[in-house]
Amino acid sequence: MKKVININFQGRVIPIEETAYEILKRYIESLRQFFANEEGKDEIINDIESRIGELFSERLNKGSACITDDDVQAIINSIGRPEDFEAEEAGTSKTEHESTTRSSARYQPGSKGRLYRDESDKLLGGVCAGLANYFRIDPSIMRILFAVITFGGFGTGFLIYILLWIILPSRSLEMQLRKRLFRNPEDKVIAGVASGLAAYFNMSVWIPRLIFALPLVLGIVSSIFQNVFFHFDPFPSVIFGSFGGSLFIIYIVLWAVIPQAQTATEKLEMRGEKVDLNTIKNTIQEDLGNLKTRTEKWSSEVKETFQNKSHAMAGEVNPAIKRTGSRLGHAIGVIFKGFFLFIAGSIAFALLMAMIVLILVMVGLMAGGVSAFPLKGFIIAGAWQNFLAWSTLLLFLGVPVIAFVVWIIRRLSRAKSRNPYIGYTFGSLWTIGLISAILLAASISSDYKTKAGVEEKMSIYQPSNQKLFLKAAPKSFVRYFDGDWYGIHWGGNGSPFYALTEDSLVLRTVQLRIQKSDDSAFHISEIKFSRGASPELARDAAAKIDFPVNQMDSIVNLPRGFNISKAGKFRNQQVLLLIDVPVGKKIEIDHTIYEYSGFNLDLGDGYNDWDWNDDWRNDYSWNSNVEYIMTNDGLKPTHPEEVKDDNEDNNPDEQSQPETPEKPNDIDSSHYHYKPSGDSQNTGIKKAEVSIPSGNTIKTSVKITDIATAFFERFSL
Amino acid sequence: MDIQNTQSQMRKGVLEFCILSIIRQGEVYPSDIVDKMKNANLNILEGTLYPLLTRLKNAGYLTYRWVESNSGPPRKYFLMTDQGLQFYDELERTWKELANAVETLTSFTEGKEILPVEIPNNNQ
Repeated sequence: MKKVININFQGRVIPIEETAYEILKRYIESLRQFFANEEGKDEIINDIESRIGELFSERLNKGSACITDDDVQAIINSIGRPEDFEAEEAGTSKTEHESTTRSSARYQPGSKGRLYRDESDKLLGGVCAGLANYFRIDPSIMRILFAVITFGGFGTGFLIYILLWIILPSRSLEMQLRKRLFRNPEDKVIAGVASGLAAYFNMSVWIPRLIFALPLVLGIVSSIFQNVFFHFDPFPSVIFGSFGGSLFIIYIVLWAVIPQAQTATEKLEMRGEKVDLNTIKNTIQEDLGNLKTRTEKWSSEVKETFQNKSHAMAGEVNPAIKRTGSRLGHAIGVIFKGFFLFIAGSIAFALLMAMIVLILVMVGLMAGGVSAFPLKGFIIAGAWQNFLAWSTLLLFLGVPVIAFVVWIIRRLSRAKSRNPYIGYTFGSLWTIGLISAILLAASISSDYKTKAGVEEKMSIYQPSNQKLFLKAAPKSFVRYFDGDWYGIHWGGNGSPFYALTEDSLVLRTVQLRIQKSDDSAFHISEIKFSRGASPELARDAAAKIDFPVNQMDSIVNLPRGFNISKAGKFRNQQVLLLIDVPVGKKIEIDHTIYEYSGFNLDLGDGYNDWDWNDDWRNDYSWNSNVEYIMTNDGLKPTHPEEVKDDNEDNNPDEQSQPETPEKPNDIDSSHYHYKPSGDSQNTGIKKAEVSIPSGNTIKTSVKITDIATAFFERFSL
Repeated sequence: MDIQNTQSQMRKGVLEFCILSIIRQGEVYPSDIVDKMKNANLNILEGTLYPLLTRLKNAGYLTYRWVESNSGPPRKYFLMTDQGLQFYDELERTWKELANAVETLTSFTEGKEILPVEIPNNNQ
């Protein structure tokens, strides 16, 4: 019993079965897709339609009441399907009969039956390929979907996969799908990715094109308006700077991964049948219909096998035991398989996670390096180094990232490895990147080759109260990269960089050395160090350091740090401040000095460049906000008992920093535990007391910054 | 290199020529072309014939005429233009040359009396 409908087909009224009408509609749609790019396609389809109409009325004239499925199939066979046209044109496939049966299977979804794992197209267990086959979508889409479910749903996708792997039987299936993702060679701007996507998702070509192009356009516009982003070079940030960069990479990856539609079948698959909920629903409904007949068949089958088996049981006891044995073996096999898959799956999952983390790290490196590596401008000098830096970044770091992503996706989509040139290209690009990385390292390290220092005696007048109070000026720098920068705490105590602005870097590699004065006066001398390609260059750079010492009676104001301009470049500049304290005079150092970052003084190559007091190294350790007095035996606190309580090292409190210069501690002589100059005979006990805090400060002076500066020192070797 | 591929390549080359030669004899309805060719043991699908005709028509070698039919809407009959005739003549010349060449070559090998090997025809 079938429903018959009347259709107006090419000027004829045709009574046709509803199912036959569906077949006809699908057939004409497939023709339309096949001739989509043919000139005069409407005419061709019109001609074919009118011919079909003619054949219909012939059949009706012969006495048929209506057009049936078989009529339509026969007519389609005589006119031919797109696949047959192709076979005829390219001559690639089979005899007419073979191709007809093949394509009729294609248009009768009900005949494909059950859900299987696909043996012929599998990555792991063929589950995705099987499912894709069942729903007739592209296996790559199914795989990507599964990956998304796995990572989005805390591994549920993976469990489902394992479950299906165990449950579903395996069978080699012929690819039956509605649609595949192809690049469209007939309508392309660059590689046809956008128009292929448009064909797959059934939308106008301009939509994906716009999506790909828009960020690029925006990037160009924003680079015209410059200051929108904080960047150093306008060109790479246009492409890689933002969102557009990732889309650019996605385009390249898709270009590499998606095959080009070349044969007519592929072009047909590219447009394919419309994939929507309706067609999927139809598939399932047809399948459920089949299920009914199948269960009926099944019950009779069960009856049969039961009878057969009881017959067999009577005669053959031995084989029966064998059979149960093999069944037990089968069960154990299934359990083992499940367990094995679980173990293998866990390992695979862990590996996958590790890989993803690796990708993220690499992408992060890329993004961090490319978008705005804040120190780049201060280290890289000249166009050549700049070029090398970019090529290192893009080729040495970027190419492996892209290659890896391409590899993953090609693996997922099972792209046939079409051309080895992708590998060669990646390889040679990376080699160029490697070479430029080496050249860059060599070029930079030559800039750090030698170290030189410039000594400058500061003219200070002797304080009236016989005491110097050293403090660092309050913050006055614009801190552009304050706090976190990609998770690195640049402004923190551990960093040699105090602050960073767009065109100047503030260093605080300043160290204070307190030593015994040769005469009876305070002296302050400043030794500026820098590295450079030659001693002259290093000395020039050192001389450029501006670190003014400002004295107001007993208070000596030191700058918080010193500026390095972009033109000046970072060459590991350091300032060593030598403070000579005469015996019997006092000194106190404010806690703001703790903002300075220590550094290692490597005397190896610098020692001969200038001569200074040899015993400068025998300086004394000190704690902040503690008054010290210089004795013949060294620096001693005036209040030894305070030192133990006031261990500032553990917690340098920046908040409590006074805005106005605090008056140095009272010059009240009642605080003095030691008398000036004359009283140099200290008791041994008191000496022992002060040596404890000194030891503390020495230990804590090893900081991360020492490692950082040591790194730059090593750089030059 | 499979035999079917070669065969269909051979067929494909002469298909256009055959169709044109049928049309040259007078205006014709497409399904008649299929029938005539089938009679001559040369199979072609209507689905391939229609695009071919449209292409030839768009190239200016063919034109068509609507002919009233007694059963249903008018039918499209194809006929040849002068340009098509020239085109056909050139094809014919080429075909004759080719046929001659093939004839000469194949008969030459026959003349050498190579032992005829019985090739099982597994095509049908």
